[in-house]
Amino acid sequence: MTVVFSLEAPYRRAYELHRLTFGQGGPVVAIVAGLHGNELNSMHAVNLLASSLQVQPPRGTVHLFPLVNTFGGDEGVKRWPFDDRDLNRAFPGDPRGTSVERIAAALIEHTEADVCVDVHSGAPHVRELPQVRAPLSGRELDLARAMGLPLVWRRAGEQLDGTGLVGAWRRAGRAGLHVVGGRGITLDTEHSGTLARGLHRLLTHLGMSPAIGPAETVADVTRVEIETHRAPCGGFFVPEVRVGARVKPGHLLGYMQIPIGGDRIGELRAGRAGVVMTVRAWPMVHAEELLVRVAATP
Amino acid sequence: MPQHHPVIEVELPSGDTVSVVRRRFSGGPGPRVAVVAGIRGDAPEGVRVAHELITFLSGVEDRLAGTVDVYPCANPLAAHRGLPRWPFFDSDLNRLFPGDDDGHPPERVAAALNRDVQGADQVVEVRGARAAFSEVTQAHVRPGEALAAERALRLNVTVVWERTPGPAASSTFAHQHPGAIVLEGGTGNRLTPGVGKDLTDGLLNLLAMMGVLGEGELPFHWAALARPILVHDEHVQRVRTERGGLFLPALAIWKRVEEGEELGRVVDPTTGEVREIVPSPMTGRILAIRELPVVFPGTVVARVVCT
Ligand SMILES: [Zn+2]
Repeated sequence: MTVVFSLEAPYRRAYELHRLTFGQGGPVVAIVAGLHGNELNSMHAVNLLASSLQVQPPRGTVHLFPLVNTFGGDEGVKRWPFDDRDLNRAFPGDPRGTSVERIAAALIEHTEADVCVDVHSGAPHVRELPQVRAPLSGRELDLARAMGLPLVWRRAGEQLDGTGLVGAWRRAGRAGLHVVGGRGITLDTEHSGTLARGLHRLLTHLGMSPAIGPAETVADVTRVEIETHRAPCGGFFVPEVRVGARVKPGHLLGYMQIPIGGDRIGELRAGRAGVVMTVRAWPMVHAEELLVRVAATP
Repeated sequence: MPQHHPVIEVELPSGDTVSVVRRRFSGGPGPRVAVVAGIRGDAPEGVRVAHELITFLSGVEDRLAGTVDVYPCANPLAAHRGLPRWPFFDSDLNRLFPGDDDGHPPERVAAALNRDVQGADQVVEVRGARAAFSEVTQAHVRPGEALAAERALRLNVTVVWERTPGPAASSTFAHQHPGAIVLEGGTGNRLTPGVGKDLTDGLLNLLAMMGVLGEGELPFHWAALARPILVHDEHVQRVRTERGGLFLPALAIWKRVEEGEELGRVVDPTTGEVREIVPSPMTGRILAIRELPVVFPGTVVARVVCT
């Protein structure tokens, strides 16, 4: 483990940006997790990959950053706790700027690689099927598909925002992938394992690691192939499905009830066949909030 | 009686609702001025100014020649907790404009507020000071907006700053309204003696200048008002620390400083070590100084303006 950057901190020891490096020479891959301090699945997935690379070093170089936002991780919060800034809005960063801008600049500098991956959990109030988000075409889409994650979500304008890490990598001419699985605040070992296998398959695709099990992709979709269910009114949402469940038209996805008394005020049913890719985990919802997404399956 | 109008009512999961309201004081066909406060929930000074304005205008409404719309608190759930962002969604309302009628509640609030303010002859957003800072009273206008600058010079502030919009400006409330003036001053998330009165007097003076309020109605003599200095970006410098620790300011706002003079120092509170003496980059006055002492390398601790 190498400390590639540090930053003096009040009342505690300096902040340190830790990097684990396996192998040497090209190609070079950099994988980042824990940019958000409460996204535990991302950290665990990268550590699972680290333990397998320890046993079987890669052909080429793999840089792992299992936990960038250590201070947020210590407090169980998403953002950088000092000034409550989102590290993933601080790119490309500035070595003379504020604390998050300095960390961002250091991360860009130390992820000099052919392929870069930024791993996240979903937001704390939703659970997401392990997925990779990719542009509609091009090399990144090929790399994304090679991960064999349960869901490939092709999105127009995906991660073009240069204040985010993936967007900043793209602007620096590196291939950047955005991976998401499970939900924030909680560790889901099954989702973490799925994410780790996806990262491993990416290395396999690049000729850096031996093959593992077959791809787990069940849906490869754009926005129009995703059915989005939103709350018809404010209330308490009770899900009847989990992410990864296969549903047919008419399948009960969940229902709304009033939070005081529990009277049922509405039902959600699937309109098409597919796989459940997102489920609301925090049940107190405002009108129009996202409850369930179903991705069409072939 | 002023009209009480809910700009938007947000339904909450529990079944409760929360409203963003407008108080309209209308006495004639003259200009319409919109005063918006509390877009972030950690700026009670702006909400106090809105309250003072409502109190004063309630007594003179029948003698107004135009309309004054006061929006006392655009972000009520955040203000309820003294936090900058809209709770639960944890989103910064002042990065959501022009808003989205089909979005989540803060986005719908942004859209509704933006629509309600449309068409005003003058939009003023009243904030407090930035969190962690103590600041002199100041009005910000965009460069090249001469009428806004002329009006801002009558707002009884210390400084009028013709400020170039930053990279995030396009999603702020003020940016949606050409000629908008932003008022700041006081201390982050606190009330500061005198600041609320100064800003309220300034707004009343603006109403008189625009012909909405008769000069005879003003509760003070115009000669008592401040004569602000007008500054541009090149007159203002941000000062950052190079070390982490506790920043102890040496000077208060609006004190004169010489180039190289100590603005404050960064110390290690556990050992007494002085880690850094932070010098003023130029001769001038202190526009803002950090009062929340915890700093990292690169934290902005002061703004100095050359006068
Ligand atoms: Zn994240």
